[in-house]
Amino acid sequence: MDYQLSPLEVKMQQELAAFCKAEIAPRAKMLDSSSRPEVCTYMKENLKILFRGGCLEAGHIGDVIDLIAVYLAGEEIAKACPATFLSARASTFLCGGALRLFGAPDQKQRYIPDLMKAERVGAFAYSEEQAGSDTAAITTVAHKDGNTWRLTGDKNVVVNAPIADIFLVLAYSEKDAGTDSGMSIFICDKGARGLRIGEPVETMGLRGVPLAGISMNNCVAAGILGDTPGKGYEQITRILTMGKVGIAALCVGIGNACMEISVKHSKERKSFGKPIGLYQDVGFRLADMFTINDLGRMLALRAAWAINTGEHEADILAACAKLFASEAVTKIANWGMQIFAGHGYVAGSDIERFYRDAKFGEICEGASEIQRSLIARSELDKFLPR
Amino acid sequence: MRKYAQEVSMDFSLSQEQRMFRETVYRYGRDEIAPLCEEADLKGEFSFEIWRKLASLGILGLPLPEEFGGSAASILNCCLAGEALGHAGVDGGSLLAWGAHTYLCAHNIYAFGSEDQKRKYVPKLASGEWIGCMGLTEPGAGSDAASISTTALKKGDRYVLNGSKTFITNAPVADVFVVFANVNKAIKHEGITAFIIEKGTPGLTTGKPFHKMGCKCSSTSEVFLTDCEVPEENILGGEGKGWFIALSGVEWDRCTLLSPMLGAALNNLDSCARYANERQQFKRPIRSFQAIQHRIADMKVFVEAVRLAVYRVASAKDNGQMLNPLQAAVSKVYAGDRGFEMASEAVQIFGGYGFMHEYPVERNFRDSKLAAIGGGTSDIMRMIVSRIMMMG
Repeated sequence: MDYQLSPLEVKMQQELAAFCKAEIAPRAKMLDSSSRPEVCTYMKENLKILFRGGCLEAGHIGDVIDLIAVYLAGEEIAKACPATFLSARASTFLCGGALRLFGAPDQKQRYIPDLMKAERVGAFAYSEEQAGSDTAAITTVAHKDGNTWRLTGDKNVVVNAPIADIFLVLAYSEKDAGTDSGMSIFICDKGARGLRIGEPVETMGLRGVPLAGISMNNCVAAGILGDTPGKGYEQITRILTMGKVGIAALCVGIGNACMEISVKHSKERKSFGKPIGLYQDVGFRLADMFTINDLGRMLALRAAWAINTGEHEADILAACAKLFASEAVTKIANWGMQIFAGHGYVAGSDIERFYRDAKFGEICEGASEIQRSLIARSELDKFLPR
Repeated sequence: MRKYAQEVSMDFSLSQEQRMFRETVYRYGRDEIAPLCEEADLKGEFSFEIWRKLASLGILGLPLPEEFGGSAASILNCCLAGEALGHAGVDGGSLLAWGAHTYLCAHNIYAFGSEDQKRKYVPKLASGEWIGCMGLTEPGAGSDAASISTTALKKGDRYVLNGSKTFITNAPVADVFVVFANVNKAIKHEGITAFIIEKGTPGLTTGKPFHKMGCKCSSTSEVFLTDCEVPEENILGGEGKGWFIALSGVEWDRCTLLSPMLGAALNNLDSCARYANERQQFKRPIRSFQAIQHRIADMKVFVEAVRLAVYRVASAKDNGQMLNPLQAAVSKVYAGDRGFEMASEAVQIFGGYGFMHEYPVERNFRDSKLAAIGGGTSDIMRMIVSRIMMMG
């Protein structure tokens, strides 16, 4: 047993950190304040930059995904630019990762190399206006027309939709078969007949992420992920469980970024003759920021390891990590804002951007309330009366 | 070729032996010790019956080598034992008595003692025949431990100790005392020296046991040194080495001594989950209410996080790494502050029953407060972390 990262893991993270700091971080503020069309251009460039730095491939090995490496790389990308992390993750992990884990051989060959090189961009479309955590409530359906599957329905917020070349779309392939065996994930190429990409959506934070709804009207799908229908629910559950580690990476990365600038400010900003960090009200806040971010990180690594090794409680540990890290980072950003005070409240300050970005973690991919319900049910069911 | 193919990774696994060890200790704690704890806690005194049970489980010398009557257990296994006993429902006080005895007294003598000292004291401490304690804190020196005012003046081949210690776990029942005194206050902490003093030594007396809020089965009192003469061969680790010895205790404090707190949180989680299934209100089990569910979830998140923090310190120590002060502080502050909040939520789930003595959640709540106080308060932990951040 070893609770510290291996030397190779440390080396990888340090190299990626240096790269992201030099190449990605300087573009973060620009992404946040750009117009929607500019955002699309800049983000495509950012994905290519990440590829050049080896950030996208970390942890993606053949048919498997090493979530610890994915996490470590993610933490550094997110620290440099949270929006870039979210976009890269949707393309290479949610879309690329699902193809890697569940795709048929020809599907893998056709899409994965391009996704990993950022030659093409992927998106994963699953939630709908009335179906977030309640996945069963989706209304998008597919029907078979000869040898072709055709999709009809709307997905309201899809990361990368404005720049995506490949969409994975969750739909009922056989509604009567129910959630467990009636859902499938379909592959749709950009430009497919009947696929319409909506206007880019503005968001409070993570404004560098190209985001839009998509609607499908008898849209021709390129195929079913893995070629076998009925496996959609199992597949999405698995990829989104793994995805919770990614959201934890986003949160811890933002937490690290907040801490770095907050510590710097606490040293440089003086009041009543001494650096504000030497006052306990500020210094102890810094300590609390460190504590909860560190624990969020440990929980994420723990969950990553549990998923890598197939531990039976892995899904619960992933929920714990997502819940903890996301609630930690909103506190951290909030405390960071308090430390910067008026200097932070000014539009365009870094802490102001992180403050807006940080909120996403508690909301996305199963809000905190859903994570708590999931964790509680698992604990309570251990003691069901006989 | 891939640049970052992972071959070696961090590793959170427990071996089959470790899982079995934890299970064995848990079962023994649950069947043999936990049934005694309610009454012992109510009496609020040290329980020799529980002590003998701990001795026959063989854990009083857990980390000590076999030739000294121990089990040569790794630090992590020591944590597993503390966790298992707390989880089984053994009270925090008895486990604190064990911790102070085994880690702060017996192991300090083993680690820093001369061959003669080791032979004389360690086996009897490991078997539980003798009970040990460690005296550092004074009425005027708590978090600022380097400022202790107990003095040791050299007189021939003896030292004369004067001063008083307070909040000394096990002092009223102890046979062996490791006491810190300063041989030369002019050189401040560099004069601090540890002495082994046996019960009955003239000039060594203990006060009446304190009535405590929690951890009541550990007996705690003042220790008075009044012209207490100690032969120089009873110096532990050499003159002026006391500060180093005291600091080394911190490493145990941040893992092994916190493990029973993790155990108590697991005990609370189990009993709350069981109760929430069984307790009916408004014609349904209270588990169906989200306010109950979400407290259970928070408790689960807490035990997973604090376990990682505690095991991380333990595994680093096992691997021979220097104590990382940040990781140590995280472990302590989180177990202390969040642990108390979570113990309070457990009482809340039990409602009126939780307020009653016969429910372990009540005792765990009182016991849990100690983690934010003993061995360096939460505030001190924040001070350590913030200083490092401000210096870095």
